[in-house]
Amino acid sequence: MIFREVEDRDLIAKARRGKVEAYNLLVSRWEKRVFNYLLRLVGEREDALDLSQEAFLKAYQNLAKLEDAGRFAPWLFRIAHNEAYSLLRKRKPEGETLREPSQGAQSFRMFPVELSLAVRSALERLSEEQREAVVLKIYQGFKFEEMAEILACPVSTVKSRLYTALDLLKETLAPIHARGVE
Amino acid sequence: MSCSPFDLKDYLFGALREAERRQVEEHASGCQTCGEELDRLRLTEAALRALPDEEPQRRIAFVSDKVFEPGWWQRFWQSGPRLGFASAALLAVAILFQAFWRPVPGAAPLEAETAAIEARIRAAVVNAVTESEARQVLKISQAVAETEKRIQFDRQADRVAFEEAFNLLQKKFNVMYTASADLGGSR
Repeated sequence: MIFREVEDRDLIAKARRGKVEAYNLLVSRWEKRVFNYLLRLVGEREDALDLSQEAFLKAYQNLAKLEDAGRFAPWLFRIAHNEAYSLLRKRKPEGETLREPSQGAQSFRMFPVELSLAVRSALERLSEEQREAVVLKIYQGFKFEEMAEILACPVSTVKSRLYTALDLLKETLAPIHARGVE
Repeated sequence: MSCSPFDLKDYLFGALREAERRQVEEHASGCQTCGEELDRLRLTEAALRALPDEEPQRRIAFVSDKVFEPGWWQRFWQSGPRLGFASAALLAVAILFQAFWRPVPGAAPLEAETAAIEARIRAAVVNAVTESEARQVLKISQAVAETEKRIQFDRQADRVAFEEAFNLLQKKFNVMYTASADLGGSR
């Protein structure tokens, strides 16, 4: 893990000197994670891909502003977060809140496993903020401090969103999963 | 409603210290409500993790923009290995040039100069050989003269020694002859 961090730092340093190939290598390392994070926020593959591309482009343009290369991941996800919320705000019709489930339900139906469908359905019933907290913690494995940096809010707020989401998900998913296990 | 000493979700996400974790585990093992709640949280997390990641339909890649790229000479000077390689290549070219370079045919002034140098060298060699031979002849003649002189001296010394020996013998003979005459004359 330490070795990987050092390598990322090296790539960032090279990208700062104008080495596009180094940045492309960095992108290839992170694009799947960023794409899945955005996909779970916005629900549409095409949108997630466009947002990923936009996030990586903005990251490249602002690479000189990244003070600590070791904090690349939270910094990158903060940019992706801003891109996602920019799109979600545009999508939201007048008077409609962001709590409304996204329109990407069709894409989730592609997965044949019943549990996957149930999880996607349960995630869609969460608010955007709760879902993002779950995605960052469960799927991206960020620490609470890193999540607070990405979401630009206190750790206590992050925990509150995540734990509320978990209580809601638990009501739906725990019985299903328990049956599946049996 | 959980009666655990610490939040079960903090326990689930590893936000507790080791001592706090042990307290929660001890409590959950003895408290049916908290034990079941912890099981539900674990099942929920396991269900969430069952959702697989998707592969992006196409890869994201950027092409270089010449405007923002550093110049070739900047890259060259910033790269130690490249600079070293270029120096080595330059040195190799210089060595090859030196090894395979030949004077152009028909370069008269150069040939004349070379011929003059060679003539001077030959003359110097001949001169040196002549001087050496003369020195050898002189040394030999001196040695012969010394030898003849020494032989002549030895011969003269031998003659003197012979004459002295002869004179001594003659004197002895005379003495004996006189003595014999004296003895015969008295009878």
